[in-house]
Amino acid sequence: MEGGLKNSCTDDFLETMKSHRDEELLARFSNGDRKAAIALNSRLAPIVFTQALRILNDRAEAEDVTQECLLRLWRAAPKWEANKAKITTWLYRVTLNLCIDHLRKSNRNISDVEQEVVDDTPDVECKLRNKERLQALRRALETLPDRQKRAVILRHIVGLPNPDISDIMGISIEAVESLVSRGKQALARTLAPQKKALGLEDD
Amino acid sequence: MTNKDFKYTPLNERELSLLFDETQKTMPEMSEQFLERLQNQAIEAALKKPQNIIAPEERPLLDRLANILAQAGGWLPRVGLVSALFFGILLGFNPPKFAFDITTAFYPMERLSDLIGLRDELEFYLAHI
Repeated sequence: MEGGLKNSCTDDFLETMKSHRDEELLARFSNGDRKAAIALNSRLAPIVFTQALRILNDRAEAEDVTQECLLRLWRAAPKWEANKAKITTWLYRVTLNLCIDHLRKSNRNISDVEQEVVDDTPDVECKLRNKERLQALRRALETLPDRQKRAVILRHIVGLPNPDISDIMGISIEAVESLVSRGKQALARTLAPQKKALGLEDD
Repeated sequence: MTNKDFKYTPLNERELSLLFDETQKTMPEMSEQFLERLQNQAIEAALKKPQNIIAPEERPLLDRLANILAQAGGWLPRVGLVSALFFGILLGFNPPKFAFDITTAFYPMERLSDLIGLRDELEFYLAHI
Protein backbone atom coordinates (compact mmCIF):
# COMPACT_ATOMS: atom_id res chain seq x y z
CA MET A 1 0.00 0.00 0.00
CA GLU A 2 2.81 2.41 0.81
CA GLY A 3 4.33 2.07 -2.64
CA GLY A 4 1.00 2.80 -4.28
CA LEU A 5 0.51 5.68 -1.94
CA LYS A 6 3.78 7.29 -2.87
CA ASN A 7 3.20 6.73 -6.59
CA SER A 8 -0.22 8.27 -6.44
CA CYS A 9 1.08 11.32 -4.62
CA THR A 10 3.29 12.52 -7.43
CA ASP A 11 3.32 16.19 -8.34
CA ASP A 12 1.56 15.40 -11.65
CA PHE A 13 -1.27 13.75 -9.83
CA LEU A 14 -1.69 16.63 -7.39
CA GLU A 15 -1.45 19.08 -10.29
CA THR A 16 -4.42 17.46 -12.02
CA MET A 17 -6.39 17.68 -8.79
CA LYS A 18 -5.71 21.42 -8.46
CA SER A 19 -8.56 22.30 -10.77
CA HIS A 20 -11.05 20.63 -8.45
CA ARG A 21 -12.66 22.62 -5.67
CA ASP A 22 -12.43 21.28 -2.12
CA GLU A 23 -16.16 20.62 -2.11
CA GLU A 24 -15.95 18.57 -5.33
CA LEU A 25 -13.12 16.52 -3.93
CA LEU A 26 -15.01 15.94 -0.71
CA ALA A 27 -18.03 14.68 -2.67
CA ARG A 28 -15.74 12.26 -4.51
CA PHE A 29 -14.18 11.30 -1.20
CA SER A 30 -17.64 10.39 0.12
CA ASN A 31 -18.07 8.07 -2.84
CA GLY A 32 -14.92 6.19 -1.90
CA ASP A 33 -12.50 7.95 -4.27
CA ARG A 34 -9.03 7.18 -2.96
CA LYS A 35 -7.31 9.80 -5.12
CA ALA A 36 -9.65 12.52 -3.89
CA ALA A 37 -8.78 11.50 -0.33
CA ILE A 38 -5.07 11.90 -1.03
CA ALA A 39 -5.52 15.22 -2.82
CA LEU A 40 -7.74 16.67 -0.10
CA ASN A 41 -5.40 15.50 2.62
CA SER A 42 -2.38 17.02 0.86
CA ARG A 43 -4.22 20.29 0.43
CA LEU A 44 -5.86 20.66 3.84
CA ALA A 45 -3.43 19.05 6.28
CA PRO A 46 -0.79 21.84 6.00
CA ILE A 47 -3.45 24.51 6.56
CA VAL A 48 -4.67 22.83 9.74
CA PHE A 49 -1.19 21.99 10.98
CA THR A 50 0.14 25.52 10.47
CA GLN A 51 -2.78 27.02 12.35
CA ALA A 52 -2.47 24.50 15.19
CA LEU A 53 1.29 24.94 15.45
CA ARG A 54 1.02 28.71 15.63
CA ILE A 55 -1.57 28.55 18.36
CA LEU A 56 -0.07 25.74 20.40
CA ASN A 57 3.60 26.16 19.54
CA ASP A 58 4.10 22.45 20.11
CA ARG A 59 4.58 19.99 17.27
CA ALA A 60 3.18 16.96 19.05
CA GLU A 61 0.05 18.81 20.14
CA ALA A 62 -0.35 20.36 16.69
CA GLU A 63 -0.12 16.91 15.12
CA ASP A 64 -2.79 15.59 17.47
CA VAL A 65 -5.08 18.47 16.62
CA THR A 66 -4.47 18.09 12.88
CA GLN A 67 -5.23 14.39 12.95
CA GLU A 68 -8.39 14.91 15.00
CA CYS A 69 -9.59 17.81 12.88
CA LEU A 70 -9.18 15.93 9.60
CA LEU A 71 -10.81 12.85 11.05
CA ARG A 72 -13.83 14.97 11.93
CA LEU A 73 -13.93 16.27 8.37
CA TRP A 74 -13.85 12.75 6.94
CA ARG A 75 -16.70 11.78 9.26
CA ALA A 76 -18.70 14.85 8.26
CA ALA A 77 -18.07 14.30 4.54
CA PRO A 78 -21.15 12.20 3.66
CA LYS A 79 -23.50 14.81 5.12
CA TRP A 80 -21.56 17.82 3.85
CA GLU A 81 -23.76 20.52 2.34
CA ALA A 82 -21.60 22.22 -0.26
CA ASN A 83 -23.62 25.43 -0.29
CA LYS A 84 -23.60 25.84 3.48
CA ALA A 85 -19.99 26.43 4.46
CA LYS A 86 -16.56 26.52 2.88
CA ILE A 87 -14.44 23.59 3.97
CA THR A 88 -11.52 25.81 4.96
CA THR A 89 -13.79 28.01 7.08
CA TRP A 90 -15.14 24.92 8.80
CA LEU A 91 -11.59 23.63 9.34
CA TYR A 92 -10.37 26.91 10.83
CA ARG A 93 -13.29 26.86 13.23
CA VAL A 94 -12.81 23.25 14.32
CA THR A 95 -9.03 23.65 14.60
CA LEU A 96 -9.46 26.75 16.74
CA ASN A 97 -11.88 24.93 19.05
CA LEU A 98 -9.55 21.96 19.40
CA CYS A 99 -6.55 24.21 20.03
CA ILE A 100 -8.40 26.21 22.69
CA ASP A 101 -9.33 22.93 24.39
CA HIS A 102 -5.66 21.90 24.27
CA LEU A 103 -4.58 25.24 25.70
CA ARG A 104 -7.02 24.84 28.57
CA LYS A 105 -5.90 21.33 29.34
CA SER A 106 -2.24 22.07 28.85
CA ASN A 107 -0.64 22.94 32.17
CA ARG A 108 2.90 22.98 30.92
CA ASN A 109 5.00 25.42 32.88
CA ILE A 110 8.22 27.25 32.26
CA SER A 111 10.33 24.46 33.75
CA ASP A 112 9.16 22.12 30.95
CA VAL A 113 10.19 24.71 28.42
CA GLU A 114 13.59 25.15 30.00
CA GLN A 115 14.27 21.44 29.68
CA GLU A 116 13.40 21.61 26.00
CA VAL A 117 15.70 24.47 25.14
CA VAL A 118 18.76 23.88 27.32
CA ASP A 119 21.57 23.09 24.90
CA ASP A 120 25.09 24.29 24.06
CA THR A 121 24.18 26.83 21.39
CA PRO A 122 25.28 30.41 22.07
CA ASP A 123 21.79 31.84 21.62
CA VAL A 124 20.33 29.69 24.36
CA GLU A 125 19.42 32.79 26.36
CA CYS A 126 17.61 34.22 23.40
CA LYS A 127 15.74 30.94 22.82
CA LEU A 128 14.75 30.77 26.43
CA ARG A 129 13.47 34.33 26.34
CA ASN A 130 11.45 33.59 23.22
CA LYS A 131 9.91 30.56 24.88
CA GLU A 132 9.11 32.62 27.93
CA ARG A 133 7.41 35.20 25.75
CA LEU A 134 5.31 32.50 24.13
CA GLN A 135 4.36 31.04 27.45
CA ALA A 136 3.44 34.46 28.78
CA LEU A 137 1.34 35.15 25.69
CA ARG A 138 -0.44 31.83 26.05
CA ARG A 139 -1.20 32.46 29.69
CA ALA A 140 -2.41 35.96 28.96
CA LEU A 141 -4.64 34.70 26.16
CA GLU A 142 -6.24 32.32 28.63
CA THR A 143 -7.39 35.27 30.71
CA LEU A 144 -9.36 36.81 27.83
CA PRO A 145 -13.10 36.30 27.38
CA ASP A 146 -13.71 33.50 24.88
CA ARG A 147 -14.75 35.58 21.87
CA GLN A 148 -11.93 38.08 22.33
CA LYS A 149 -9.47 35.21 22.61
CA ARG A 150 -10.74 33.61 19.39
CA ALA A 151 -10.63 36.88 17.48
CA VAL A 152 -7.11 37.76 18.65
CA ILE A 153 -5.78 34.28 17.87
CA LEU A 154 -7.27 34.24 14.37
CA ARG A 155 -6.11 37.79 13.59
CA HIS A 156 -2.64 37.95 15.12
CA ILE A 157 -1.49 34.35 15.53
CA VAL A 158 -3.09 32.56 12.60
CA GLY A 159 -2.84 35.76 10.57
CA LEU A 160 -6.25 35.75 8.89
CA PRO A 161 -7.89 38.88 7.48
CA ASN A 162 -10.96 40.25 9.25
CA PRO A 163 -13.51 39.11 6.60
CA ASP A 164 -12.33 35.49 7.01
CA ILE A 165 -12.54 35.78 10.79
CA SER A 166 -16.02 37.19 10.40
CA ASP A 167 -17.04 34.06 8.41
CA ILE A 168 -15.40 31.69 10.87
CA MET A 169 -16.93 33.30 13.95
CA GLY A 170 -20.24 34.10 12.30
CA ILE A 171 -20.16 37.77 13.30
CA SER A 172 -19.82 41.08 11.44
CA ILE A 173 -16.46 42.51 10.44
CA GLU A 174 -17.05 45.46 12.78
CA ALA A 175 -17.61 43.04 15.65
CA VAL A 176 -14.34 41.29 14.77
CA GLU A 177 -12.47 44.59 14.80
CA SER A 178 -13.98 45.49 18.15
CA LEU A 179 -13.16 42.10 19.69
CA VAL A 180 -9.57 42.21 18.42
CA SER A 181 -9.07 45.74 19.69
CA ARG A 182 -10.46 45.02 23.16
CA GLY A 183 -8.57 41.73 23.30
CA LYS A 184 -5.27 43.42 22.53
CA GLN A 185 -5.87 46.11 25.11
CA ALA A 186 -6.57 43.46 27.72
CA LEU A 187 -3.45 41.52 26.72
CA ALA A 188 -1.35 44.66 26.94
CA ARG A 189 -2.57 45.29 30.48
CA THR A 190 -2.23 41.65 31.58
CA LEU A 191 1.34 41.39 30.29
CA ALA A 192 2.44 44.78 31.60
CA PRO A 193 3.91 43.48 34.92
CA GLN A 194 6.06 40.99 32.98
CA LYS A 195 7.34 43.55 30.51
CA LYS A 196 10.84 43.69 31.95
CA ALA A 197 11.10 39.95 32.56
CA LEU A 198 10.17 39.29 28.96
CA GLY A 199 12.84 41.68 27.73
CA LEU A 200 10.36 43.89 25.98
CA GLU A 201 11.65 47.16 27.40
CA ASP A 202 15.04 46.59 25.77
CA ASP A 203 13.74 45.65 22.31
CA MET B 1 -4.59 52.58 30.25
CA THR B 2 -7.01 55.12 31.54
CA ASN B 3 -6.89 53.47 34.93
CA LYS B 4 -4.79 55.73 37.12
CA ASP B 5 -4.34 53.02 39.75
CA PHE B 6 -2.66 50.73 37.25
CA LYS B 7 1.02 50.95 38.18
CA TYR B 8 2.45 49.22 35.13
CA THR B 9 2.54 50.71 31.67
CA PRO B 10 0.61 48.46 29.29
CA LEU B 11 2.47 47.03 26.32
CA ASN B 12 2.39 49.21 23.26
CA GLU B 13 1.52 48.04 19.74
CA ARG B 14 5.14 47.27 18.85
CA GLU B 15 5.74 45.23 21.99
CA LEU B 16 2.58 43.24 21.42
CA SER B 17 3.64 42.62 17.82
CA LEU B 18 6.96 41.25 19.07
CA LEU B 19 5.07 38.69 21.14
CA PHE B 20 2.80 37.74 18.27
CA ASP B 21 5.82 37.41 15.98
CA GLU B 22 7.23 34.73 18.25
CA THR B 23 4.33 32.48 17.28
CA GLN B 24 5.33 32.68 13.61
CA LYS B 25 8.92 31.52 14.14
CA THR B 26 8.27 27.79 14.30
CA MET B 27 8.50 26.37 10.79
CA PRO B 28 5.24 24.62 9.98
CA GLU B 29 6.85 21.70 8.17
CA MET B 30 5.20 18.33 8.60
CA SER B 31 7.32 15.23 8.87
CA GLU B 32 7.01 12.63 6.09
CA GLN B 33 5.97 10.09 8.65
CA PHE B 34 3.14 12.26 9.94
CA LEU B 35 1.95 13.11 6.43
CA GLU B 36 1.87 9.45 5.54
CA ARG B 37 -0.11 8.66 8.68
CA LEU B 38 -2.64 11.33 7.75
CA GLN B 39 -2.90 10.02 4.20
CA ASN B 40 -3.48 6.49 5.40
CA GLN B 41 -6.19 7.80 7.71
CA ALA B 42 -7.83 9.69 4.83
CA ILE B 43 -7.72 6.71 2.46
CA GLU B 44 -9.06 4.38 5.11
CA ALA B 45 -11.91 6.79 5.83
CA ALA B 46 -12.72 7.19 2.12
CA LEU B 47 -12.83 3.46 1.52
CA LYS B 48 -14.80 2.76 4.66
CA LYS B 49 -17.49 5.34 3.94
CA PRO B 50 -20.82 3.94 2.79
CA GLN B 51 -21.49 4.89 -0.82
CA ASN B 52 -23.89 7.73 -1.38
CA ILE B 53 -27.27 6.04 -1.57
CA ILE B 54 -29.73 7.72 -3.91
CA ALA B 55 -33.30 7.56 -2.67
CA PRO B 56 -35.42 5.16 -4.81
CA GLU B 57 -37.69 7.93 -6.04
CA GLU B 58 -34.68 9.85 -7.39
CA ARG B 59 -33.56 6.93 -9.54
CA PRO B 60 -34.58 6.79 -13.17
CA LEU B 61 -37.17 4.11 -14.03
CA LEU B 62 -34.71 2.06 -16.08
CA ASP B 63 -32.26 2.08 -13.19
CA ARG B 64 -34.94 0.77 -10.88
CA LEU B 65 -35.90 -2.00 -13.33
CA ALA B 66 -32.25 -2.88 -13.78
CA ASN B 67 -31.96 -3.08 -10.00
CA ILE B 68 -34.90 -5.50 -9.79
CA LEU B 69 -33.33 -7.64 -12.52
CA ALA B 70 -29.99 -7.54 -10.79
CA GLN B 71 -31.61 -8.85 -7.61
CA ALA B 72 -33.09 -11.77 -9.59
CA GLY B 73 -29.67 -13.37 -9.91
CA GLY B 74 -28.02 -14.67 -13.10
CA TRP B 75 -29.21 -14.45 -16.72
CA LEU B 76 -31.41 -17.60 -16.58
CA PRO B 77 -33.74 -16.34 -13.82
CA ARG B 78 -33.88 -12.98 -15.59
CA VAL B 79 -34.98 -14.57 -18.87
CA GLY B 80 -37.58 -16.59 -16.97
CA LEU B 81 -38.90 -13.51 -15.20
CA VAL B 82 -39.19 -11.51 -18.43
CA SER B 83 -40.85 -14.44 -20.28
CA ALA B 84 -43.39 -14.96 -17.50
CA LEU B 85 -44.21 -11.28 -17.53
CA PHE B 86 -44.65 -11.28 -21.31
CA PHE B 87 -46.92 -14.36 -21.45
CA GLY B 88 -48.89 -13.18 -18.46
CA ILE B 89 -49.78 -9.97 -20.22
CA LEU B 90 -50.53 -11.84 -23.49
CA LEU B 91 -52.88 -14.31 -21.80
CA GLY B 92 -54.56 -11.54 -19.91
CA PHE B 93 -55.49 -9.69 -23.07
CA ASN B 94 -56.26 -12.70 -25.27
CA PRO B 95 -57.15 -15.74 -23.19
CA PRO B 96 -57.48 -19.02 -25.17
CA LYS B 97 -60.78 -20.89 -25.18
CA PHE B 98 -59.61 -23.65 -22.82
CA ALA B 99 -58.67 -21.10 -20.22
CA PHE B 100 -62.32 -19.92 -20.11
CA ASP B 101 -63.50 -23.56 -19.81
CA ILE B 102 -61.23 -24.22 -16.88
CA THR B 103 -62.42 -21.10 -15.11
CA THR B 104 -66.11 -21.95 -15.54
CA ALA B 105 -65.44 -25.54 -14.40
CA PHE B 106 -64.47 -24.20 -10.99
CA TYR B 107 -66.71 -21.14 -10.97
CA PRO B 108 -69.96 -22.12 -12.77
CA MET B 109 -71.63 -18.84 -12.05
CA GLU B 110 -71.57 -16.36 -14.86
CA ARG B 111 -72.40 -13.19 -13.07
CA LEU B 112 -70.73 -11.20 -10.35
CA SER B 113 -73.85 -11.31 -8.17
CA ASP B 114 -73.66 -15.11 -8.30
CA LEU B 115 -70.06 -15.03 -7.22
CA ILE B 116 -70.69 -12.84 -4.20
CA GLY B 117 -73.90 -14.73 -3.28
CA LEU B 118 -76.31 -11.83 -3.46
CA ARG B 119 -78.11 -12.70 -6.68
CA ASP B 120 -81.74 -12.27 -5.55
CA GLU B 121 -81.19 -9.19 -3.42
CA LEU B 122 -79.17 -7.49 -6.13
CA GLU B 123 -81.73 -8.25 -8.85
CA PHE B 124 -84.51 -6.89 -6.66
CA TYR B 125 -82.57 -3.76 -5.93
CA LEU B 126 -81.64 -3.19 -9.60
CA ALA B 127 -85.27 -3.70 -10.70
CA HIS B 128 -86.50 -0.96 -8.36
CA ILE B 129 -84.00 1.74 -9.14
